Amino acid sequence: MRMKLIYSPEVVEKPILAEIILRTGIPINILEAKVNAQKGELVVSIPVSGKQLDDAIRMFEKAGVKTNILARTLQIDMNRCTSCGACVSPCPTKALRFKPDWTIEFDEERCVACRVCVDACPVKVITVPG
Amino acid sequence: MQYLISEGSEMSSKSEGEVIRTIEEINDKIKRGDIVVTTAEEMIRLAESSGIEVAAKEVDVVTSGTFGAMCSSGAFLNFGHADPPIKMTKCWLNDVPLYKGLAAVDGYLGATSLSETRGFDYGGGHVIEDLVSGKKIELRAESYGTDCYPRRHIETTVTIDDLNQAVLLNPRNCYQTYDAATNSTDRVLYTYMGTLLPHYGNVTFSGAGQLNPLCKDGNYETIGLGTRIFLGGGIGYIVGEGTQHSPQTGFGTLMVRGDLKKMNDRYLRGATFHKYGVTLYVGVGISIPIINDRVAATACLRDEEILVNIRDYGVPVRPDRRPVVRRVSYKELRSGKVVINEKDVPSSSLSSYQMAIEIAEVLKKWITEETFFLTKPVEPLPRHTEFKPLELRKRELTVLDVMKKEVFTASPNEEIGAAARKLIERRIDHLPIVDRESKLIGIVTSWDLANAIAQEKKWLNEIMTRRVITARADESIDVVARRMSQHNISGVPVVNETNQIVGILTTDDISRKVVGGIAK
Repeated sequence: MRMKLIYSPEVVEKPILAEIILRTGIPINILEAKVNAQKGELVVSIPVSGKQLDDAIRMFEKAGVKTNILARTLQIDMNRCTSCGACVSPCPTKALRFKPDWTIEFDEERCVACRVCVDACPVKVITVPG
Repeated sequence: MQYLISEGSEMSSKSEGEVIRTIEEINDKIKRGDIVVTTAEEMIRLAESSGIEVAAKEVDVVTSGTFGAMCSSGAFLNFGHADPPIKMTKCWLNDVPLYKGLAAVDGYLGATSLSETRGFDYGGGHVIEDLVSGKKIELRAESYGTDCYPRRHIETTVTIDDLNQAVLLNPRNCYQTYDAATNSTDRVLYTYMGTLLPHYGNVTFSGAGQLNPLCKDGNYETIGLGTRIFLGGGIGYIVGEGTQHSPQTGFGTLMVRGDLKKMNDRYLRGATFHKYGVTLYVGVGISIPIINDRVAATACLRDEEILVNIRDYGVPVRPDRRPVVRRVSYKELRSGKVVINEKDVPSSSLSSYQMAIEIAEVLKKWITEETFFLTKPVEPLPRHTEFKPLELRKRELTVLDVMKKEVFTASPNEEIGAAARKLIERRIDHLPIVDRESKLIGIVTSWDLANAIAQEKKWLNEIMTRRVITARADESIDVVARRMSQHNISGVPVVNETNQIVGILTTDDISRKVVGGIAK
């Protein structure tokens, strides 16, 4: 599950993520981080579901961190995609690749939302929601 | 000449130039409805199973296709006269400037022309796509006013139907082959070959290889001036060789024209190459009449037989001097990985192979449905054209002209305090650090030293930057100035081939010494 964590100024300096990882043992992976003195925004991947996930979310919320589940990483407008391949080799996790008919296939599970493909797409049909 | 079948090859034992069928016979067969057309892919499969000679007998026409970024594209537009009329001296469509060195209401909209309000997000290629899709376009023009054309300003909207003529006229399309790209440097490069990751992180390439029109008749026996083609989803014609046509190196190109009003926005797409600029993806398809065994042989060329270089775009030199990393086939490029320095490197195209297949299929359908007839070229394409570089006849400023030759250096085991004193005494901001052979191993700036003193560090080797951005004495000031601004630095040590320091160049030197491109 991918999630955006939003830190308010009051809690931005606290090691909340580290504490929750230590307490729960969940290997939370940071995909993206924008942190300054006023605000912090992390995009993380939490590789659990069900009660474990709910507990983790509760811990973040209790510590003053807002959580926002990111349902989708990328959106590709396949009707406008030309299947050129400009996004394929720059993708660091091989989440974008060719199908046997040379159209593009997106493997959401591999995607770390790094946005390399968003810049690489010549016809600008790839967007990252949220 | 990789695409010529050389004498003594398997084909030359027979009279390979012997005419199997003429274009007139082919057109008669199209009319009768018994024409045999295959796409280049199908032709290759047939040749693999039955041999080229059988394929050449069976198949009348082979269709090819490509769909890629073709920067040298654009359209001649005629707007018609307003009342009172205007002699447009400047003209914009959706804020994209046209070339207006033509008559009053004629203009040329180039694919790479950038929007003056939206920058890289929108340009000539996008306007062409929007015109073709029937969208309303903002037209703005200015003039100085004359007795016959008194109007000085105009603002209105147009659609493609309002225009008297909209003619796609592309000076260079449809490269026969194109060198692939990679990047040896330690930063991401954004190029017209797409995003190139550092340390040979990926390889990009362009062209449809075994489906590429010019590859399928590499001797230009059937393709030439006057050849009717698929262009942007409509009918087009080859009007000659393209600019930079260089067939002897495998880089043949075409100049093409067609009626934009009859084209389809599926096959003409405006595009942006990040931090590079805008362009137009153009779909081109050419039907190859199998008039003899030689043409049959080139029509059967496979991706594994079509070779290009992989070049290092990390070296900022003219395209033909970019270092060749290795030679590679389209087959390997299209496989998704190529081997560089014994490592698998991801590779992918910038042009669409899926669309190339589709274009070859559409052209095949047109021919079998009797809506597309072949033409005999009025003149063949040149088989040899020199592609010359641009000579620089005026002396350009080099680093040597502007750099300071007296360089104060330090050794890595010097004390920070002593180094700071050196900077203050000499009134300099950059202190290159060298080993005993005066080879560059690091650099510190006055800012680094101030920081280090604040943190009570002691030795230069604790704080020096080890990956130093450098320049060479013979490099142009222009290129080095861009490098400094890219890395956000104010000085570069100048080194020789063996990394020994020969000078230092700072932004201060540039701003003091360079005036209007000449050194004071």
